[in-house]
Amino acid sequence: MMRFNDIKREAKFVFAHRQFKLTLLVVFLLSTVALWSGHAEMQAQQATIERLLEKDQVEREAVLNHQSSYGMVAYYAFHLTYAPPSPLTFAVVGERDVFPWKHRIRMLALEGQIYESDTDNPELAFLGRFDFAFVVSVLLPLFIILLLYDLKAKEREARRFDLLNVTARNSHAVWTSRTLVTLVPLALVTLVPFVAFAIVNGASVSSILLACVIVLGTISVWSAIVLAIGAAQRFAKYSATHLASLMLGVWLITTVIVPVTGHTVINAVVETPEGGDIVLTQREAVNGAWDKPVEETWEKFIETHPQWADYTAYDPKRDGSFNWKWYFAFQQVGDDSASELSNAYQQATIRKNQLAGYVSLLSPSLLTQRLLSNTASTNVQSMIDYENKVRAFHASLREFYYQQLFAAPEFSKSSLKRLPKFTTSSQFTSTPMNTQENTNEK
Amino acid sequence: MMSNTIKTICAEQWRYWLRTKVATTVLILGSVLTLTALVVNAFHIEEAAHAREHLQHEAEERFLSQPDKHPHRMVHYGHYVFRTPTPLSVIEPGVDTYTGNAIFLEGHRQNSAMFAEQRQSAGLTRFSSLTPSFLALVLAPLFIILIGYGSVSREREAGTLTLLLTQGASRWQLVLGKLVALMLASSIFLLPLLLACLYVAFSNESALVVTLFCLGYALYFLLWAVVVTACSTLFEKSSASFTVLIVIWMSACILLPRMGSSVATSVEPSIGKLEADFKVEEKLRSLGDGHDVNDPAFVKLKQDLLDKYNVDSVDDLPVNFRGIVAQYSEQRQAVVINEFAESRMQEELAQARIARQFGWLSPTVALRSFSTLLAGTSIETHHRFLREAEILRMQFVQGLNKVHVEKLDYKLDMNRNSSEEAADKAVVEASNWAVLSEFNFQPEAPMARLSSAAVYCLQLLLWVGVALLLLKLAVRRLNP
Repeated sequence: MMRFNDIKREAKFVFAHRQFKLTLLVVFLLSTVALWSGHAEMQAQQATIERLLEKDQVEREAVLNHQSSYGMVAYYAFHLTYAPPSPLTFAVVGERDVFPWKHRIRMLALEGQIYESDTDNPELAFLGRFDFAFVVSVLLPLFIILLLYDLKAKEREARRFDLLNVTARNSHAVWTSRTLVTLVPLALVTLVPFVAFAIVNGASVSSILLACVIVLGTISVWSAIVLAIGAAQRFAKYSATHLASLMLGVWLITTVIVPVTGHTVINAVVETPEGGDIVLTQREAVNGAWDKPVEETWEKFIETHPQWADYTAYDPKRDGSFNWKWYFAFQQVGDDSASELSNAYQQATIRKNQLAGYVSLLSPSLLTQRLLSNTASTNVQSMIDYENKVRAFHASLREFYYQQLFAAPEFSKSSLKRLPKFTTSSQFTSTPMNTQENTNEK
Repeated sequence: MMSNTIKTICAEQWRYWLRTKVATTVLILGSVLTLTALVVNAFHIEEAAHAREHLQHEAEERFLSQPDKHPHRMVHYGHYVFRTPTPLSVIEPGVDTYTGNAIFLEGHRQNSAMFAEQRQSAGLTRFSSLTPSFLALVLAPLFIILIGYGSVSREREAGTLTLLLTQGASRWQLVLGKLVALMLASSIFLLPLLLACLYVAFSNESALVVTLFCLGYALYFLLWAVVVTACSTLFEKSSASFTVLIVIWMSACILLPRMGSSVATSVEPSIGKLEADFKVEEKLRSLGDGHDVNDPAFVKLKQDLLDKYNVDSVDDLPVNFRGIVAQYSEQRQAVVINEFAESRMQEELAQARIARQFGWLSPTVALRSFSTLLAGTSIETHHRFLREAEILRMQFVQGLNKVHVEKLDYKLDMNRNSSEEAADKAVVEASNWAVLSEFNFQPEAPMARLSSAAVYCLQLLLWVGVALLLLKLAVRRLNP
């Protein structure tokens, strides 16, 4: 049994060390700086989205004002799509600096647009981001090692070990309480700034709690590793620094070697189509269509869009060599021809992410990183969800414009009010056509 | 010549290492890792280089094999360029995996690079990567610490220090012996790197660049060996020297590089490409639509042309007015587009430079900048790729526009949408696609890379100086 007096005595003892207080201060500063920089980044992303939304509106109005047909509107009007940062993004920037989180798309073939990325400075991305997740998953274990590696050995070397064991009412109590008075302040200096920032950013209580549990879990796992190595009988004769080397070895293997090996193996196992192949295929299909007989495009288009089979009446000899519905049909065909490759590309990303999940079971720091980025919705899956949302939005644009282009109602600017709008929820149905109007057009 | 005392001390230290598990494990682990990294990376780079060369070749071939068509179709058909990795990226891949390596070039638009490999890493390599440069920059110092933290302090703790000194070894001899031993040990990690450099030097890279590249890494290893020996000499207890060294390692190798990039983003925030695009479009709108000859923006152009050829209508011009408009507006667009692209690149560069200033605080940052710049895997080289791609874009787009001006009759051109036959007439021969020249991307010339890397070499040398001073101080304070 631990007693309050034990804890008080140990706390006095532990806090008497300047090194300990200094470590706490450093961890507190690191945690705060990381959170602050993540917070600044998140504010910047939010501000960017707001500015973009505003400009997008102005720009589209300006473009729409100049157009006289649905085809031209579809060709010239861009639409902004974006994935807003979640309230916890400040703690885990996650995949947001590698995957795009904003796109401007238009009705042309999507495969030519969706891989464009407007990511940050690659040199900074390559140096790495200093966020809270990094502090917790990579640095915190090192601090735990530094604080606990000589817990017992220090006393052995000072020849106080036996004395302590004898004088204490319960020999376990000494070490347990000493460990606790070390770890609790460590957890506090890490988490208090986090909770403060989370509240400022309006994160939900459940997500804050979840993140705290993950951080506490990391601290427990690493303390357990350190204490287990320190207590192991077979290492009993090792010096404190020798033990610390072992602990660092564990850190090195789990934090560095497991991930890079996993990465190499996963890359070798999961076949990924070359990105270049997707865009080349798409381009060939789109640009080749100009020189192919019109029927060829129609045939392929009707396969996927049978509802417009009766509306393809267009005779190049009579109606001129250019027609918007044919133009957009071959954009669609271009996408369709690359869709298999493009699906495979996305599936490969998902599969790699899945496998990475298994690999992370072998690496506490990877696991921490992943769990935190799941909590903050900045993981690979969230970024893929965004990509699919863009695809869905593009599909709804097509649905809207096909209706106009094929059913061929007179061009009216007021109908553009029904243009699908990108929202962060998952549905993008355009306002349903007024049935009255629809039948009139026919 | 190394004195015999130093040699003996050095040999003694090695005997000790070979007996202890930690040192031998670290030595074996370190060299196996470096070798693995080199082999894996070399295969990967080789494969990437091959794939991209192949795609480049294919893109060119397909462009050239297009049938007769309207030249403006080809402007929209566009072209792809791929960036092949530089020879030294076998050791230092730098920003390569973070930038896209393919760009689609087309008329009226400047696209960004696509397909950054990092997207496919599923977050596994956010902290570490199996690249020789990561191992050398971040892990090798840790290994050197693990092997050497106790080299001098252990003698003191065991009481053998007094013995050694009374037996006639001077303090410098003792410390130098330990240092040489540690340098030999660290060269085990360095050696595979040097061999890889040798291989690169024979493949296709300036020997001077490779030599300096090697020298940079050798200095870095020396630096750490000196710091470790100095700390071991300075602190009475092995545990103190160990703790201090780990803290130094954490700050220099892990913390400061990342701090640098975070500080750079907040000091020099940059607007993204999307936002810049809006500004570009706003400006471009005032320049007129190059697809529309009747755009009011071209009235003056038209009048000047009519005056020049002394005719009354565009139909009588000896050249295709539509092509002239396309040429003229593409040129004016390019000026605007490039102005923004250039300012964006300058922003990125300014950010990178701020991050690199952290080299005055951490030798790891110094060597990183030095090695990416020399290897041609820094942001500068990526920017160069973007600029060269833009030159190629303008060259083929304007080449096609020139064909449009000179080889396609204006009346046929204006009539092209009236029927399919008319469209069939408004074409030029496929032989005109030869305006596309080959894209063969090369990093900056060796001398240019050397001069931009010079300041980071200075940072590194400064650090070596600081370390040597520390060593001097430590030796002076060495008392049994």
